Amino acid sequence: MLLSESARVTTAQEARFRIQTPNSKPRAVKVIALDSEAARLVDEISKQPWNGAAFFKSLSFEQSGGDNVKAWLNDLAGHTSDLVGEIANADCVVVIAGAGEDAASVSVIAELCTQYHKTLVALVVPQGSYEQDTVDRSLKALRPYAKMLVIAHERDYIEAMLTALRA
Amino acid sequence: MLKKEQNELVTQTGPGTPMGELFRSYWMPILLSEELPENDCPPVRVKVLSERLIAFRDSEGKLGLIDEFCAHRGVSLWFGRNEECGLRCPYHGWKFDTSGQCVDVPSEPAESGYAKKVKLKAYPLLEKGGVLWTYMGPTESTPPEPEWEFATVPLNQSFTSKRLQDNNWLQAMEGGIDSSHVSFLHRGDLNNDPLFKGAAGNKYNLSDSKPVFEVVEAPGGLFIGARRNAEDGKFYWRITPWVMPCFTMVPPRGDHPIHGHFWVPMDDETCMAWSFDYHPTRPLSDNERQAMKDGKGIHVRYVPGTYRPLANKDNDYLIDREAQKAGRTYSGVEGIGMQDASLQESMGPICDRTKENLVGTDNGIIMARHRLMRAAKALADKGELPPGRTVEDMKVRSAAVILPPDQPYKDAAKEALIAKVGVKQTSV
Repeated sequence: MLLSESARVTTAQEARFRIQTPNSKPRAVKVIALDSEAARLVDEISKQPWNGAAFFKSLSFEQSGGDNVKAWLNDLAGHTSDLVGEIANADCVVVIAGAGEDAASVSVIAELCTQYHKTLVALVVPQGSYEQDTVDRSLKALRPYAKMLVIAHERDYIEAMLTALRA
Repeated sequence: MLKKEQNELVTQTGPGTPMGELFRSYWMPILLSEELPENDCPPVRVKVLSERLIAFRDSEGKLGLIDEFCAHRGVSLWFGRNEECGLRCPYHGWKFDTSGQCVDVPSEPAESGYAKKVKLKAYPLLEKGGVLWTYMGPTESTPPEPEWEFATVPLNQSFTSKRLQDNNWLQAMEGGIDSSHVSFLHRGDLNNDPLFKGAAGNKYNLSDSKPVFEVVEAPGGLFIGARRNAEDGKFYWRITPWVMPCFTMVPPRGDHPIHGHFWVPMDDETCMAWSFDYHPTRPLSDNERQAMKDGKGIHVRYVPGTYRPLANKDNDYLIDREAQKAGRTYSGVEGIGMQDASLQESMGPICDRTKENLVGTDNGIIMARHRLMRAAKALADKGELPPGRTVEDMKVRSAAVILPPDQPYKDAAKEALIAKVGVKQTSV
């Protein structure tokens, strides 16, 4: 009996003939810590080899001089970066917040993500023993803006997610 | 994406593999009760977690799940005679009881005690909710018996089916927690399938194809909330529970029965997709039950006498390009269950995740893989029993709710996500 096309092409043997050419270009993932607790995590994670991911710390409203988005980000070497330029050139934006920390600056990042049609993923990372209230506060701050909101109880989840996204 | 070694870790479930040992920490559904309908009925071949076994119900109703092959010369006991409290090999008459103990070797004097020295590997088999469950791990680590709601409601409130699926368990299970595909793949069925249509929530699925997601860890797995716009600035939430390693539920629609799945590896290239429907507070109607038997909802029609779907890869899933073009079905394949299965099988026997390109909204899948790998390693390296084994983990429900924008579903729908006897599902 002749095999149908669907039966034939789904065998393990036929899987050998699947095209192995890379099917995507490296993408620009911008990882932005929203607070000092998150910055510490991002700093550690950034030391691993990544596929072009860029890591930043978001400055607070006060530090950036209110609404100066040109000086909204610090890279991990402490250099100021232009938030607009980073978002405009991003494929995906990941913001990371420590539980209960001030995540207000997400609103500025989210506004630009909307303007430039970028997906914003937000992770809340509780550290050690924490109060549920602190997580809830962070979730409440991030929920209006994130396309995907995740509570990540372990640091290694951030790494797993960035790897999965080919960051 | 996953690295090659990670993909191997999560997809290989044979004996001695880390994920195989993880699966052996849980009770798994392996047969429907209807497959062993009466005492001394014909035995049934079972393949689960890459082990070939034979199941039988003996003369006293005791259930047995033992190595498929006779200890004498390796004949399949599927040919065996199920009689007088044991399964007798038709080749030379060796006989085994439900514990796998050899109880008769006709060629040897009974007084010699030869039979007592022969025992086949056996696993416990218990019956609950019209399903036969096995646990294949160490006896001392046996978890509580299955307490999933679908298996504990009266039998007239539930319907369970299973279908053979020709691909690795993980790509099937990942479909169960991927809520965003519903607005595409199944959109033709939301208003037509008798087990889906008429629910108020359907319109939100159809009008908003870009849901926003929120993933919350639960002790035994995850809750994945998909949020779509509803009226007056409110949000329509569909909340999908995943309990480790392979239990998923579909959020309910209106007063239709709730449904869900177990995705059980048979071997690394085949799995059994279990599909259950139940209503927590009322018997299923005759029409509902008939629709399920007819392959509606998440169920499928079978090749007669088998659990293989009638629409399968050998007939190109009976794809109907006219129906696809006309929008009656989105993919051209009929039936929600087969729409999923056809696409999952098309990925190949084991999906090559080194080549995939996940996006931010795939975080539910990313988190599930991460938890599986972490638990498998913790079990292998430290002997830590994995999450998802307690009664509380099993007392879970999916839910569909409309909430004001400032209310997190994990709090506002907290009670709705717990299975409670006599309490109706929370649905829209």
